[in-house]
Amino acid sequence: MNFARRKLNIGRMAGALALLTAAWSQPALADKVLRMAHDLSMGGSESLDPLSPVRFWEVNDLLYSRLIRLTEAGEMEPELALSWEPNADATEWTIRLRDGVKFHDGSAVDAEDVKFSLERINDPALESPVTSVLGMIQSVEVIDPLTARVVLSTKHAGLPILLTDYRVRIIPSGSGDTIASSGIGSGPFKLDEYDPEGTTRLVANPDYWEGAPKLDSIEYVAIPDADARIQALLGGQLDFSRIAPEQEPLFAGRSDFVLSEFPAGGWFGLVFRTDTEPFTDPRVRKAVRVAVNREEMAKLMTGEGHATVTCDNPVKANDPYRADIVCPQDIDLARKLLAEAGYPDGISFDLHTSNLETGMVRFAEVYQQQVAPAGIKVNIVMAPSDGYWDDVWMKETVVVTSWDERPADQILNEAYRSGSSWNESYFSNPEFDALLDKARASLDFAEARQAMVDAQVMLFEAGGTLIPYQQNIQFAYKKSLDGIRPVIEDQMRWHLVDKTEE
Amino acid sequence: MLKLILQRFGAACFTLAFIAIVVFGAVELMPGNACTAYLGRDAKGAKLESCEKRLGLDRPAFERFGEWAGRLAQGDLGESVRRGKPITELVGWRLRNTIVLAVTALLFGIPIAIGLGVLAALRRDRPVDILLSTTAIFAMTIPEFVSATLLILVFSIGLGWAAGVVTVSYKAPVLDLLANSILPAVTLTLVLTAHILRMVRSSVIDVLESEYVLMAHLKGVPFGRIVWRHVLPNSLLPAISVIGLTMAWLLGGVVVVESVYNYPGLGRMAVDAVADRDIPLIQAIALLICGLYILSNLATDVLALMLNPRLRTYRT
Repeated sequence: MNFARRKLNIGRMAGALALLTAAWSQPALADKVLRMAHDLSMGGSESLDPLSPVRFWEVNDLLYSRLIRLTEAGEMEPELALSWEPNADATEWTIRLRDGVKFHDGSAVDAEDVKFSLERINDPALESPVTSVLGMIQSVEVIDPLTARVVLSTKHAGLPILLTDYRVRIIPSGSGDTIASSGIGSGPFKLDEYDPEGTTRLVANPDYWEGAPKLDSIEYVAIPDADARIQALLGGQLDFSRIAPEQEPLFAGRSDFVLSEFPAGGWFGLVFRTDTEPFTDPRVRKAVRVAVNREEMAKLMTGEGHATVTCDNPVKANDPYRADIVCPQDIDLARKLLAEAGYPDGISFDLHTSNLETGMVRFAEVYQQQVAPAGIKVNIVMAPSDGYWDDVWMKETVVVTSWDERPADQILNEAYRSGSSWNESYFSNPEFDALLDKARASLDFAEARQAMVDAQVMLFEAGGTLIPYQQNIQFAYKKSLDGIRPVIEDQMRWHLVDKTEE
Repeated sequence: MLKLILQRFGAACFTLAFIAIVVFGAVELMPGNACTAYLGRDAKGAKLESCEKRLGLDRPAFERFGEWAGRLAQGDLGESVRRGKPITELVGWRLRNTIVLAVTALLFGIPIAIGLGVLAALRRDRPVDILLSTTAIFAMTIPEFVSATLLILVFSIGLGWAAGVVTVSYKAPVLDLLANSILPAVTLTLVLTAHILRMVRSSVIDVLESEYVLMAHLKGVPFGRIVWRHVLPNSLLPAISVIGLTMAWLLGGVVVVESVYNYPGLGRMAVDAVADRDIPLIQAIALLICGLYILSNLATDVLALMLNPRLRTYRT
């Protein structure tokens, strides 16, 4: 090695050292990084394709924009779409797009991209779960670069609210084969490093149409174990996480953390098959539901104040279509209904549950205790968690079920319409189906809402599903974070979230 | 001796083949199959068909076992249902990480355990010995999820000295991984040190009381020389089998420690695979862990054979 070259190397090293010292001495210029965890629920196949069955939803929320989104109050507001107008019978919707929005690669968001992104939903090769929500989209016509017309196969007045689904994102036209790893959207953050089993890194998109994000970057770390996630949060390795009610006490006395909580739409329920004796009689179905003390059950299952009492209506608490029903425990009514139906000495049945999800067995046990005074004798049968959805659910007469939050139109059609493939209680009522059709066909909100409310009341009177409460979502995050709102992550305005000095 | 080693090796291969049959058979006996387990509520119609076709589940079990075993013999573990990647690739990195953690714990644990074990034996029933032995019993009996949680509580959440959970990628360079893994390494070191320490202590005490050591004393051999030349080599033999067992445990069974610390090793992958009902992956990991267990037992046996003159000259 000659001398000149060695000198050069020393010079380089000195330069690097100087840079390093500079980086050390100026922590104030440090990047504002928000660190969060995901639970690796797709086992490392987390896909950046928003329509994929194994979508990486936490990250996709940040990468992509939707046409329409919800406000904190649950109302629709424009995102990429500026307006949405139906034709007279709600079979076609004309969507006008915001001008000047750009994808991360610099290309403009136009009607071609909307056509591509929406028509993709029903591509059978994708096996997208969104097909069950937006399967009525027949085609999308491009009117001009900023106008698209969505043509439906049936009347649907509720299309705009279904377009707020967290999976219905606009991606560049023709990017179907690359989107799963490229992540090119028009959201507030851009993909920097994609590593679902390690740390996925996103950096701020300075050209975001609503203004540049306040954070410099966001990191998503894979931590499957729930306790490990909380420990990472408490130890300062994470800034934000969802928590379960039983983890709340861990934050007692930690003034550097903020806890927040808001009503959501996930629930455990009991399904009584309406096509099987004795539950073919609506009086029996009502008896086994009104005998429940829902308030107490919610408290036993989730603790004080972590759930919204629900009267068997699957629509979440802050959904504009939710019906207001009151349903106190009524043992006498239950006895009376059973006697009228021909069971003066009460009934007994097997209730199938499993350790599939935490709480599913406890749920059955609380039910068993609560309805016993009404002469309802429940025999709990433990089923193996493997194959529960396959061999027990929709097969046995009485089973515990579990659902995630869905918009009103979606859950009512998916779980209760005659013949629907996930109609777990085999509920079949032409009047009920007619109400759902009416809601879909009606362009007047009050009228559509009334039809949905009537449908929910019908479920409370004659349905075969007990939904005693819906569980809240709880967040815990560092006090230094600013702009975290009590809304589900996909409705959060992440570009407004900021990190102040600790 | 070669014959003895070959015998052991043959037995190991036989055990592994037997385990392969059990692992495959257990899955066949279960109701449903890999596809119904994986798809859950969606296990019907076209989705189920395409999954079963992809995994070849439409063919008879005998045929599939032959193929599976054949590929196994060539080192191909098949493809994960959930992850859609070759299992060899998924498991390779995890195996590396588990080995990194195990080796780190052993490197620190073995010298500490032998040193302290000999010290305790030489100071038998004195305060040092009582302190060491009691601590060791505590370290052995406290379950790892308790000690792990306590360590996180004190050193990560309380003092902020070390990272509480591992946040680096499973593919991170070894040094980055280790920098993030101080607490898991300490947890494992604690447990294995305790086990080995107690073994070393009792066998050193045994040897110290033996007749040839007494003889050496009577001949006037200095105490230091007795310990170094005569006691230590003879008392480490039982320690080797404990170290072998510990290594097998480290390579296969640190599921709890890996989950608590989010360490990207084989144990956590096993838990994730079970949670996802990814049966081909579970089968592969089960087999791999059994293989590692058998391998470390074999290594211990051979090492013990070579160190023990009585076993060395043993004829069958």
